[in-house]
Amino acid sequence: MSENILEMKDIDKTFFGVHVLDKAQLEVRLGEVHVLLGENGAGKSTLIKILSGAYSREAGQIILEGRELPQLSPKEALEEGISVIYQEFNLVPYMPIYENIFLGKEYGRTILDKKKTIDQARKYMERIGLNEDPKTLVSDLSVAKKQLVEIAKAISNSVKVLVLDEPTASITDTETKMLFEIIRELKEQGIGIIYISHRMSELFEIGDRCTVMRDGKYVGTVQLSETDEDKLTRMMVGKEVCFKKEENKVIDMSEEVLKVEGLCYKELLKDISFNLHKGEILGFAGLVGAGRSEMAKCVIGEYRKDKGKITYKDRELSSSLHKNIEAGIVYLSEDRKDEGLVLIHTVAENIALPNLKKLSSPFLSRKKMAQKAKQYIEELHIKTHSHLSEAKDLSGGNQQKLVIAKWIFSEADIYIFDEPTRGIDVGARDEIYNLMYDLLEKGASIIMISSDLCEIMKMCDRVAVMKDGEIKAILENNEDLTQERILKYALSGGEQYGN
Amino acid sequence: METKKKVNLSEITLYLGVIVIFLAITVACKVVGKDFFTLSNIFNIIAQASITSIIAIGASLVILTGGIELSVGSVVGFAGILGGILIKNGIPVAAACAAILLSGIVFGAFNGILVSYGKVPAFITTLGTMQIARGMALLINAGQPVSGFPQGLSMIMGTRVFGKIPISVFYVAIFYLVVIFMMSYTKFGRHVYSLGGNVNAARLSGVRVKRVEMMVYILCGAFAAIAGIMLLSRLTYADPNAGNGYEMNAIAATVIGGISLSGGRGRIGNSLVGAIILSTLTCGLQIMNVATYYQTIITGLVIIAAVFADKRKERRAE
Repeated sequence: MSENILEMKDIDKTFFGVHVLDKAQLEVRLGEVHVLLGENGAGKSTLIKILSGAYSREAGQIILEGRELPQLSPKEALEEGISVIYQEFNLVPYMPIYENIFLGKEYGRTILDKKKTIDQARKYMERIGLNEDPKTLVSDLSVAKKQLVEIAKAISNSVKVLVLDEPTASITDTETKMLFEIIRELKEQGIGIIYISHRMSELFEIGDRCTVMRDGKYVGTVQLSETDEDKLTRMMVGKEVCFKKEENKVIDMSEEVLKVEGLCYKELLKDISFNLHKGEILGFAGLVGAGRSEMAKCVIGEYRKDKGKITYKDRELSSSLHKNIEAGIVYLSEDRKDEGLVLIHTVAENIALPNLKKLSSPFLSRKKMAQKAKQYIEELHIKTHSHLSEAKDLSGGNQQKLVIAKWIFSEADIYIFDEPTRGIDVGARDEIYNLMYDLLEKGASIIMISSDLCEIMKMCDRVAVMKDGEIKAILENNEDLTQERILKYALSGGEQYGN
Repeated sequence: METKKKVNLSEITLYLGVIVIFLAITVACKVVGKDFFTLSNIFNIIAQASITSIIAIGASLVILTGGIELSVGSVVGFAGILGGILIKNGIPVAAACAAILLSGIVFGAFNGILVSYGKVPAFITTLGTMQIARGMALLINAGQPVSGFPQGLSMIMGTRVFGKIPISVFYVAIFYLVVIFMMSYTKFGRHVYSLGGNVNAARLSGVRVKRVEMMVYILCGAFAAIAGIMLLSRLTYADPNAGNGYEMNAIAATVIGGISLSGGRGRIGNSLVGAIILSTLTCGLQIMNVATYYQTIITGLVIIAAVFADKRKERRAE
């Protein structure tokens, strides 16, 4: 029985009244690679941010080498030997490797001891097999090598617990093999490694044990050599009962409103093809980074697609965003604050923004604008002091309703919802689902991107599952559809890993 | 649930500010034995404020989109010298004015295209154009001023309506009324606000953000050119160095008027009040024989103070 280098016990955290961590726990042994697994929003990142001092915890203990840690700042956590390497690196691109490694703890009082710094940097670089001149600028390095610089930086901080967040997301297979070699070496040196990844094949290759989280709660810890992908998937999904989908009476499978063929965009989308029928809700499931939002943005013309043909009602869709919006294809971003609303403007102004033409004859009627705003506030039960309140003063759910109001007013034809209920409480969710049904009744069709599998199963007629920029499967929502099945395509594209 | 329009505290402060400054300067002048409240002084203030306030319309539009415009002062200078040369060479005043207006539009379009389509930061673009326009103003007449114009030119500013009121009051009134209406009651006006409020949300709402942004810079250039015509007519003398520092006056008028330098918020009408405050201060200081250098210092301080206050307000809101 090896000893625990790190224990996190009963960690609690709430954001705006939402319990994101509820008695979460994690134990990492000396010299083990511990995988942290869970769906999007399961609370992995929050837990890690609490460990690294980026967030404060509301309850619970963090015990490092048998010693309980108080609430630490990120800098103090680093000094305690806790290093997190995020997907977005914390490196200064136009500085050389050695300066990056020693940033903030340079040798020399006022004048830098450059020679000593370089020598020390070289020592750490050798330990992880980074064969580069320490004077090379970080901006000239490949992603994989930047990652190694981050690791070297962590070692130089005499790291005890190293967290790697999706370390293989943007590196090649060969580089992954090299990274694994280094991870094994660090393990030998007695460093505890927390490894976050969704790639099943990798987890079984590099991981020793795995802790699964769901909805901010601890589900269990298993020995990876004694489990398989199916078991892990079941732990991730749980036994949550999802409401079965109601019958969709307005769907017309003979009428195709949107057809996407061979859509490609940079490295992010590879040969995406699907169609959308009148009155249908087509779901897009997948993990964060699978390319779902990019797909939506290419369809509406926010991003310029590299290849592919998009047909809307028998006519090829232009690549001009405002023309597509005029034609009736709209996108309701997952990022309401940044892409959905003008937060410093009033509720009425936000509702009016895409509909100014309708409100003008030829000049904008302020009266009509107020009238329409009040109408939608009432119809959608938007809780706001008045139509002259600023959008930023509304709660998340009401902001989302406000975004929907904008587009109901515009009488669009195809609505692309991106995570329509993220961060919204349960009551408001049902209201949003009902609004979506109303849209279908009015003759619209819906594409719904969601990471909430229950929501997908409740709402969608068909589900496209994406992984790494590809559609792995388009599944009918019938009795055979289970959360496990969707997740399996999202995690491994349908292949089986483990024992 | 109808709520009354919120009483805007900062707007009240602004309007009270005008009165306070006016009274303060009147008193200060009395103390040093000068008379501030005379007709000629008032006319002076109006003439000065009219030019600043017209440039401020353009500056306000740009600032509302979240941009900044530094080239307007140089465009005023270029406009003046261009008009001077044309009129001196026998081109009718009306035609010369049209040419001046066109030159402002060209400078504006140059800025606008670079900022919106070229994605060059507005600060850099307009700083560059500021140098370019000033250089061109010096170049076209080898740095020499032009003077000796026909009567028609001075009529543009010199006319008095109802025997007393300077005609520039009417120019300002008309331009401001049209722009205030435009901002509240046209698609373009609302789009300008949305751009500064949240450019991503605007684009995804179908606003043609690049076109709107470009139009704003074109309008800004046009207003600078109009100010150039007014200055030329008032001085009946074209100096290639004219308009120096006017961009700062326009920005100061805008921020005193309460338009947020981060864009999306504020009323253009208040920029006029800002311009009046500035020129009252300037004229007052001149009457009291305070060196004009102080005014430049004050303008700079006012801009920094206004932005500081704005940022603090934002932080508190978070």
